[in-house]
Amino acid sequence: MEDKIRKVKQVAWISGVFTALVALLLLLNYLQLSGSEPLESKALTTLVERLVSEPDNQQLTGEVRQLDLLARKAYFNSIWQVRTGALLMLLGAIAFIVSMRWLLKMQFSIERPDEAKAPDKTTRTKTERWLWGAGGLLLLFGAVAALLSESKLSPIYAKSPLAKGLNEGVEQIEIQGTDSLAAGDSTALADSLRAEPEIPLNETTVKQQYNGFRGPFGQGVSTHTNIPVSFNGPSKKMVLWKTKIPVLGKNSPVVWGNRIYLTGATASKRMVYCIDRLTGAILWEGKVDKIAGSPASSPETTDDTGLAAPTATVDGKRVFALFANGDIIAFSHGGQRVWARNLGLPDNHYGHSSSLLTWNGKVFVQYDSQGHCKVMALNAETGKTMWNTPRSNEASWSSPIIATVKGKMQLILQATPNVAGYDLNSGKQLWTVNCMSGEVGPSPAFGGGLVYAGNEYAKLVGINPTSGAIVWESTDRLPEVSSPVYYKGLLFVATTYSVLACYDATNGKLLWEYEAKAPFYSSPVIADGKLYIFDTNGKAYVFNPGKTVHLIGTSVLGEKVYATPAFSEGCLYVRSSGNLFAIGKPL
Amino acid sequence: MIGMKHILLFLILLVSFQGMDAQVQRFPKPEFQTAYKVPTTVEPAPTSLLMEYVDVLVLVVVMSLTAWFIFKKRSRKGILWLSVFSLAYFGFYREGCICSVGSVQNVSLALFGEGYTLPLTVLLFFALPLLFSLAVGRVFCAAACPLGVVQDLVIVKPIKVAPWVQKSLGLFPYVYLALAVLYAATGTDFMICRYDPFVGIFRLGAGFNMIVLGICLLVIGMFVARPYCRFICPYGALLRVGSHLSKNHLSITPSNCINCKLCKNACPFDAIDFPVEEKENKATRTDFRKFMLYLVLIPILMAAGGWMMSASHRLLASVHQDVALSEIISKHPEVLLQKGNVDVDTFLASGMSLETLNKKAEVVREKFRVGGWYAGAFIGLVLGLMLLNEVVFRKREIHTANRSNCISCGRCMDFCPVEPTGGKKGKKK
Amino acid sequence: MSKPLNRRDFLKNLLRYSAGLTVLGVAGASLAKTQTKTWVWQIDPFKCTSCGRCATECVLTPSAVKCVHAYALCGYCDLCGGYLKPDHLERNTAAENMLCPTAAIERKFIEAPYYAYHINEDLCIGCAKCVAGCTSFGNGSLHLQINHHLCSNCNECAIARVCPSDAISRVSVDEAYRIKGSFGPTQK
Repeated sequence: MEDKIRKVKQVAWISGVFTALVALLLLLNYLQLSGSEPLESKALTTLVERLVSEPDNQQLTGEVRQLDLLARKAYFNSIWQVRTGALLMLLGAIAFIVSMRWLLKMQFSIERPDEAKAPDKTTRTKTERWLWGAGGLLLLFGAVAALLSESKLSPIYAKSPLAKGLNEGVEQIEIQGTDSLAAGDSTALADSLRAEPEIPLNETTVKQQYNGFRGPFGQGVSTHTNIPVSFNGPSKKMVLWKTKIPVLGKNSPVVWGNRIYLTGATASKRMVYCIDRLTGAILWEGKVDKIAGSPASSPETTDDTGLAAPTATVDGKRVFALFANGDIIAFSHGGQRVWARNLGLPDNHYGHSSSLLTWNGKVFVQYDSQGHCKVMALNAETGKTMWNTPRSNEASWSSPIIATVKGKMQLILQATPNVAGYDLNSGKQLWTVNCMSGEVGPSPAFGGGLVYAGNEYAKLVGINPTSGAIVWESTDRLPEVSSPVYYKGLLFVATTYSVLACYDATNGKLLWEYEAKAPFYSSPVIADGKLYIFDTNGKAYVFNPGKTVHLIGTSVLGEKVYATPAFSEGCLYVRSSGNLFAIGKPL
Repeated sequence: MIGMKHILLFLILLVSFQGMDAQVQRFPKPEFQTAYKVPTTVEPAPTSLLMEYVDVLVLVVVMSLTAWFIFKKRSRKGILWLSVFSLAYFGFYREGCICSVGSVQNVSLALFGEGYTLPLTVLLFFALPLLFSLAVGRVFCAAACPLGVVQDLVIVKPIKVAPWVQKSLGLFPYVYLALAVLYAATGTDFMICRYDPFVGIFRLGAGFNMIVLGICLLVIGMFVARPYCRFICPYGALLRVGSHLSKNHLSITPSNCINCKLCKNACPFDAIDFPVEEKENKATRTDFRKFMLYLVLIPILMAAGGWMMSASHRLLASVHQDVALSEIISKHPEVLLQKGNVDVDTFLASGMSLETLNKKAEVVREKFRVGGWYAGAFIGLVLGLMLLNEVVFRKREIHTANRSNCISCGRCMDFCPVEPTGGKKGKKK
Repeated sequence: MSKPLNRRDFLKNLLRYSAGLTVLGVAGASLAKTQTKTWVWQIDPFKCTSCGRCATECVLTPSAVKCVHAYALCGYCDLCGGYLKPDHLERNTAAENMLCPTAAIERKFIEAPYYAYHINEDLCIGCAKCVAGCTSFGNGSLHLQINHHLCSNCNECAIARVCPSDAISRVSVDEAYRIKGSFGPTQK
């Protein structure tokens, strides 16, 4: 009997210790794993990143492959370990418990029941008290919970930053205010302020400027002449000046008179720059800050888009700029802040890109956000909303154009799934055609009575805006970022797979295509009767626009180009990733 | 293909939210020139429904056998081995799911919630042990419930828990029941499943915290017998009521109790009621007054409990997925701008407006506000009745199994020396 | 002496039968919302946003969620968005180009320019990296499904609790799978 007891005791000890050991091992394994998951090895990610930059390093490749294999093995090994460990622990525990119970059963004897029991009443009274205690605790918990709940009482639903009302935060600053005027060349500033003649505003004069994205009315055609066809950035051949832009942005330069306007933004700073067309000097830098309703932090955007993707627009008196956080501002040509407001945080995942367009005292804003799409017209002098038309489409990254259809000007916008035309004065939708899909980056084109719209993975269409009919469709070469341009019966489309295509604008037949070496983000534009286009490497191609391909020449800028060039008489202005170049003969 | 690399380059940057576009046939169906046949996708079949009905059958058989062991055979050994079988079958083989303890939630969700119909097997799992308990006592707890059995089997050296501790801790299962029903009915969460300490052991796989909790409970269970059953199990709260009202219940003695007191230390669960003398417990005037006071107090307690739980509805509701999201966005609107929080990002990509989300959250909160009244009132009622119970004097002349607490494990039967009329003597060392 | 006992017994009987009736009543009320079939959990691939929680939240390790390939929808592309990393160096089976962390996808050349992709379920951990890649640059033929051979069919699926797009729900055991190509995108 004693023997048996001893043996069972031994079994109990051994199994107990065994179970505890396995438990400890499993615990250690868990702690180790929770610190570093084998499949998410940081070491491996860093190595792979290195490999991407040095693709031909054979030894590195070998290391990466080995580490990857080890990581995978470690993962599956750990699973196996845990499983086996758990099973062993279970078996050990069973052995322990069984032996313990057996042991105690063998040592068991019925005790003599001799102690006096407490009177039932005392027990019950004590129980009462304890119940009250427990009840009291519950009451306490309940009270605390109710109190904590009350603090969440008033629905503190934040005003959805996406649903900003109209006319919120309209700020009017007297023209005399000078607080946003930053350093520039003060003499140059003074000179230009004095020397600036006022240009009357009508269709002809606007067509002589380059006041918006892709030129006057966004149609991509400039009437300026004597634009150089060949230049070289690195050797400075035909480079009139080159100015570094302090804060970067993907927007394109616009020109009015002797001033070029650009914007730039970082997460904490938004700036508007005015550059003298003749010398390249920065005349003034306009700070965009202290706007009521401006969000505390900038939205996340992709590197390709950035926080200053919309191109500014200029009328005779002011320049208007829009940023990815919804701030829109107007400066006078002299750099004074005229008005500023925040239109509400745009919600599109790449970053707001639609450029501004101005005409006849109105600034048009295409504001397509996920779930809230609209087009607005703001009063150019005061910033107040003149009309606001909701749109039923998805977020878009294209810009509006103004076209004259049957003698009347209308605003044409492209998004998924509609291309639509709006009346300039009332904002009323005049027509809409359901023909687009995907994420729309390119803007529409107009010419020969038809509206042209295209998007990668969707199609390219020619639409008759009076009847709303799709006249032709093509899926040959589709644009993704760059916008098409119409010129003399031809439609030019530049793609992100390095192809420039020419279509017959009347029927959509592909006439010719040209393959470049780098993608096209910049839009093709016509100036001096020639087609100019930059690829992302900064190489410029100049074509004679016609039914057959005729490349006049190519030039190298030497820096990356994503923005579309602007023109003035005898000069081409192109923004690279860090600088603004003026290409032309010295005057 | 010309320039594919360039497309991919650009697309790296564009990949952020294309995921919602889940069915876009970007590339056309290939036309194979060779004799390659496109394979079909295999669907591994789930376990057949038949097994679930077999489970119900096994449940009925085990409970009936337990009853037979208690009343006819009076064999603790039989119950023990039956319970081992249940642990193996319901526990490790069926991995402890679906179980009767959790079925309370399913029934609540089916009755009060939306969009859920109860499988018949689950309903049977819910109802059968309760009906059995009304007939023969807590036979389910004795040998059928794997959670109970696993605790029962690890009992090594049980200590005595004082009756006041047992009773006051015994309030908690009712609280748990009320909360579990409330949370299940509002479609928020299945609390009982989430905090089931033993299912991880049965599955041999669970989150770290749950495994640790389970092991701790079992270690405690080595000394404090069946801690989950006595102080936590919400289904046990219902079974207690059933067992209290049961027609037949386990009796320590096969015929008459001779008050030999040998069963004093028989029950590891302190479920044996000892004889109480009348003279030391004479009901006094104060006792009567107290009784009336407590009787009147019951509706007050119910109202207080109901009000407090209802008033806490915002706090209680905040664990619901939609409510939590709505609260995060309301408190920290800047999360809408920063990417990185998966729930917020998915919400933004879904196109649902913030107003809709907030409305959904309000609907859930309202359910908690209304349901809270019932849940809180129930807890208040239980507390009141428990207090009332303590004031009532019950004369007892013999040793009996406390009908509510006794789980019919049958250990005490082996201690009783009384011979069943015409039967064999009970075994004793 | 017998009278009070009788009253007591009567009361007890009354309560007993009331309790029994309550249980039956609750059961009866639930019968209105009862079905003979049982539920299993399944992922709606059109709601899934490839967040990766299926791999980490399942109570089992590795997860019962596996990637499934709807061959009928696959484009058999050389440049497979679900197989190759976005910044891959070459289109081959080398470890540095593979998206899958456990090398569960096997790539086989069929004929020019088609490649077949097959998932080894023993290696798949349900992390949805390939699903994200295939959905954003591909036909979306790779998607996650709960494998019912492995799934414990918990009363409340731990992944469903935290799925950000509510893609996991109870489905009838008859239609235990929602494989793309076999049903429409709006099926409940």
